[in-house]
Amino acid sequence: MVLPLALLAAVLAALALGEVALPPVTLWHGLVAGEGPGAFTLRVIRGPRVATALGAGAALGLSGGLFQALFRNPLAAPDLMGFNAGAGLAVLLATAAGLALPMPLVAAAGGLAAAAAVALLAWRPGHATPVLALVLTGLGLGFALSAAASVVMLALPLEQAAEAQRWLTGSLAARGWHHAGQVALLASGLAALTALQMRALGLLELGVPIATGLGLAAGRARLAIAGTATVLAAAAVAVAGPVPFVALMAAPLGQRLSGARRPGARLVAAAVTGALIMVLADLAARAAIPGVQFPIGVMTGLLGAPYLMWRLAREMTEQRL
Amino acid sequence: MSDPAPTLATQDLRLGYRERAVIDGLNLSFPPGAVTAILGPNGCGKSTLLHALARLAPPRAGRVTLGGEDVARMAPRALARRLAILPQSPVAPEGITVAELVRRGRAPWRGLLAPFSAADAQACAEALAAVAMTGLAERPMAELSGGQRQRAWVALVLAQATPLLLLDEPTTFLDLPHQIELLALLRRRNRAAGTTVIAVLHDLNLAARFCDHLVLLGPDGLVAEGPPDRVMTEAALMRAFGLAARVLPDPVTGGPMVVPL
Repeated sequence: MVLPLALLAAVLAALALGEVALPPVTLWHGLVAGEGPGAFTLRVIRGPRVATALGAGAALGLSGGLFQALFRNPLAAPDLMGFNAGAGLAVLLATAAGLALPMPLVAAAGGLAAAAAVALLAWRPGHATPVLALVLTGLGLGFALSAAASVVMLALPLEQAAEAQRWLTGSLAARGWHHAGQVALLASGLAALTALQMRALGLLELGVPIATGLGLAAGRARLAIAGTATVLAAAAVAVAGPVPFVALMAAPLGQRLSGARRPGARLVAAAVTGALIMVLADLAARAAIPGVQFPIGVMTGLLGAPYLMWRLAREMTEQRL
Repeated sequence: MSDPAPTLATQDLRLGYRERAVIDGLNLSFPPGAVTAILGPNGCGKSTLLHALARLAPPRAGRVTLGGEDVARMAPRALARRLAILPQSPVAPEGITVAELVRRGRAPWRGLLAPFSAADAQACAEALAAVAMTGLAERPMAELSGGQRQRAWVALVLAQATPLLLLDEPTTFLDLPHQIELLALLRRRNRAAGTTVIAVLHDLNLAARFCDHLVLLGPDGLVAEGPPDRVMTEAALMRAFGLAARVLPDPVTGGPMVVPL
């Protein structure tokens, strides 16, 4: 019960607070009646922004939860493994080239290409790829992709480059309802697809040999789940940029907050927590220092980097690293 | 366990990584309805063989047959209804309970969207009872002792209700009483349900005591196979392990007992 209430409170706070704070009465009028001084702020500025944060956060949280359950490793996440960077670079390239393509499609192609590259680079014949090898290879590829993005930005006119820089950090500035609708549609479609894969995931959680012994075509199932998770992350990147660490943190935090045990419940908690982190981080990015708007990626970075250090320390303590 | 147990066999089986063949030209037939141990020194390919038998790893040449049918050509679920495998030292997902774990053993019997049926529930209850874990069903795996945890994993493959059961070093990390408890449990299941049990084991004396049939592998492949008193000889132990030992009659069972020199 903690999670939905926290999310509701975060959404209300995100709608009420910002450069201009709306008192509860104004917020109420704006939300319920759609009139008054709050209505414009809600309809045009904060509403779509918060809705986009919800959708993108849920997509990232679900993606991270899927990867972590699939690889049975808390370090597996599309941000750490460079898939978000791949999606981000693809969007940047398409924008720079002036291509009028649907950005979620471009992002998905970039994310899947990065995922395929990581799998190929980490693959050695004759034995299963260790998860840590995937994570580290992805980390390396992520750096390469970020460097490539910097090169692309150098070629852009100054103003466009500044905007691209902001977006590549992860940003929810100037999001409209079409962004919110787009990510909501994609995330719910992919969540439905995920629901169909739950039984396979429940078996894969026991390890590939046991899952295979229980009659699962494990290779195909893993590919399908990893693909779904990658496209989920890409759907978020297409509207919010490659926001770091949300996918990494959402599932473990969600499990702590909800106490969920079954794989399905854990994934729901991961999605809700992803949305919660995203809404709160965006609120902090807008309202932490009056008059200054940080990109949301700066906030999730400030939150995520210490989390990663803590997680690594814990993995080392438990001798898994 | 309606079907009579089909025979699992290998034909000219070749296993290994890249150039190095661990096992080559292996022709074996595992007697149905018996408890068989696969024995041998580390690195001789015991686990590799077990994995190939369960189609977890493809053979480099030759084939594995079940009731005469090539397992490589069988549908994954069809195979999973006839043959269950418990790999070495499995790790349970965080927070899972014994009952939740065992339920997943029913996967090969359930349709994609089919709910958990009464037959599924009964198979799980029977599996839990067979390993004496009924009272611990709702406990999280993390809270169990090593022996209890291993019994829960065995319950998972028992719930699969297959005529063949393969286990990779099921007694590793267990103390002696728990090793005996587990092997006794497997033999009870074998005697009661006719389940063919094939296990990779380390302890020669326990294998000789609890198994009907032994497959002894050495660094150069198969050394001997057959009933314990025929396989467990001083010459065979020297060939397989390079171990100088005396084989004496076990004072309790009269079977072979290995005493290293």
